[in-house]
Amino acid sequence: MANYMLLAPELVLTLVALAIMLAGLFFGPNNKNILGYVAGVGLFAALCLTIGGLTVNETLFYGTMTIDALSQFFKIVFISVSLLVTIASIKYTEGNKNADEFFTLLLFSTIGMMVVASANDLITLFVGFELASLSTYALAGFEKNNPKSMEAALKYFIIGSLSSALMLFGISFVYGMTGTTSIPGIAENAGALASSPIGLIAVVMLIAGFGFKMALVPFHMWAPDTYQGAPTVISALLAAGSKKMGFVAAFRVFVVALALLSPNWQTAFAILAVITMTLGNVVAISQTSVKRMLAYSSVAQAGYIAIAFAVMTPMALTGGVLYTLSHAFMKTGAFLVVAVVGYMVVSDNKNAKDIDHLDNFKGLAKRMPLTAFAMMVFVFALSGIPPTAGYMSKFILFSSTIESGLVWLAVIAILNSALSLYYYARIVKYMYFLPASGGKISEPKPYAVAIILALAGVLIIGIWPEPFVYWAMEAAKVLMV
Amino acid sequence: MIPLTYYLILSTIVFTIGLYGIMTQRNGVRLLMSVELMLNAANINLVAFSSHNNDMSGQVFTLFSIALAAAEAAIGFAILLSIYRMRDMIDVDNINLLRW
Repeated sequence: MANYMLLAPELVLTLVALAIMLAGLFFGPNNKNILGYVAGVGLFAALCLTIGGLTVNETLFYGTMTIDALSQFFKIVFISVSLLVTIASIKYTEGNKNADEFFTLLLFSTIGMMVVASANDLITLFVGFELASLSTYALAGFEKNNPKSMEAALKYFIIGSLSSALMLFGISFVYGMTGTTSIPGIAENAGALASSPIGLIAVVMLIAGFGFKMALVPFHMWAPDTYQGAPTVISALLAAGSKKMGFVAAFRVFVVALALLSPNWQTAFAILAVITMTLGNVVAISQTSVKRMLAYSSVAQAGYIAIAFAVMTPMALTGGVLYTLSHAFMKTGAFLVVAVVGYMVVSDNKNAKDIDHLDNFKGLAKRMPLTAFAMMVFVFALSGIPPTAGYMSKFILFSSTIESGLVWLAVIAILNSALSLYYYARIVKYMYFLPASGGKISEPKPYAVAIILALAGVLIIGIWPEPFVYWAMEAAKVLMV
Repeated sequence: MIPLTYYLILSTIVFTIGLYGIMTQRNGVRLLMSVELMLNAANINLVAFSSHNNDMSGQVFTLFSIALAAAEAAIGFAILLSIYRMRDMIDVDNINLLRW
């Protein structure tokens, strides 16, 4: 008898999501605010339940789902991101008559990501992947009267469905050659795949399919457009949550199931990592929209994490896993700051255009000192300055790359980090050294709470990294069986 | 019995038509059709391999992927419909507010 209590986080979230959807029918637009709090409480309960089951190692449903250190680690990443986004969205959806759908979709996408994190079978993985993707397509187009939001949704939808088609085609070959869809089963039978050219096709299709989700260059074209056009809270979810789903799926499929084919894909990931971080950082320099700049910086960060696949030592995987956690906090925080600034601009001038333009950050330190300080920490963390979470994860990842002999890869990555400091420091310059264009205003409470939580996450991981590093090591051990 | 290779050739042809459509077509609905072709190519593969390997999980997978493709089409048409209401056309070349 399977221990269904292990799925308690998912079950709680499903029930809360369905309850919110039903309750939405009976609530007027002004009362829907409470649904956001309900979603937040549900996510918090799921977070506690997941933390309670940290040390479990079991499989469920005839081995199609596994609860292990890796899945718990990523589930906590997804739930934390979703919780921060939900708290901030309480303000964003205030008075919106579709707030119930918003929170329902947000929770469903979180459930999808969690299913992917514990998938031990390609069918489960694909279904979870699609659940998360379909919900986020709709969320990206949530502002249905805003042409930019709809364009973001359309681009995300077309590229996203193309990527699932590629992924499914790759999966079909993997299934055909190994005769099973179970991930450990594939790892056992991968010999047939490795000795046939079909194995190569499958690897290419899967890299493309996951690469679109992870936004690796050359599969990144949708990411800047979607992150810029989508509502800012949703950009945070996409950059910090949905992208990590691509990584956990790739960890399971490549590092566990297709480990035998690693000569085929390790070099590919090394090359992709190099182009991704270089292009992401170079293009980010010339952006004037902060949202788009963060989008390109997020592409560059995906390049750093992809190094873990190219190196594939236990230490590098630890670094990659830890990086996903720190990146989740840094990126969510940074996007939420952009959302607050957008709120500030709109409250100054109702018809403001280009609310995510860099000029709006001028003198932010005088107008909203807390937000400006948080943004400074987030961008410094993204560029990898101690004592932040970004520094610790980069340190582990890059030092393990040097240890394994891929010095050139580490050098390129470090040069890229230096390059990225230019555009991150520019934001700090705008916030602290340029004159403000208005008086001091206070942040709306939900945004402030979410930003402070993200800030706490970034600083705690940076200042006291031991438990997180140890925990990431446990997660990486699952991959190195 | 039809050999496995024939199915694989068929699915590759269908997949390539879909990929070609994605790259050349500019109408939103045609793009959706092309994606569906690619998904169906994968479904052909799964069923063919399933019967070749004498293993049911491929057919189960196909049922899941058909259901997901239907959900995907529903979302896709919803997005296209709201764009059509806003602009009176769904030509993706003209949807270019967001650029670098």
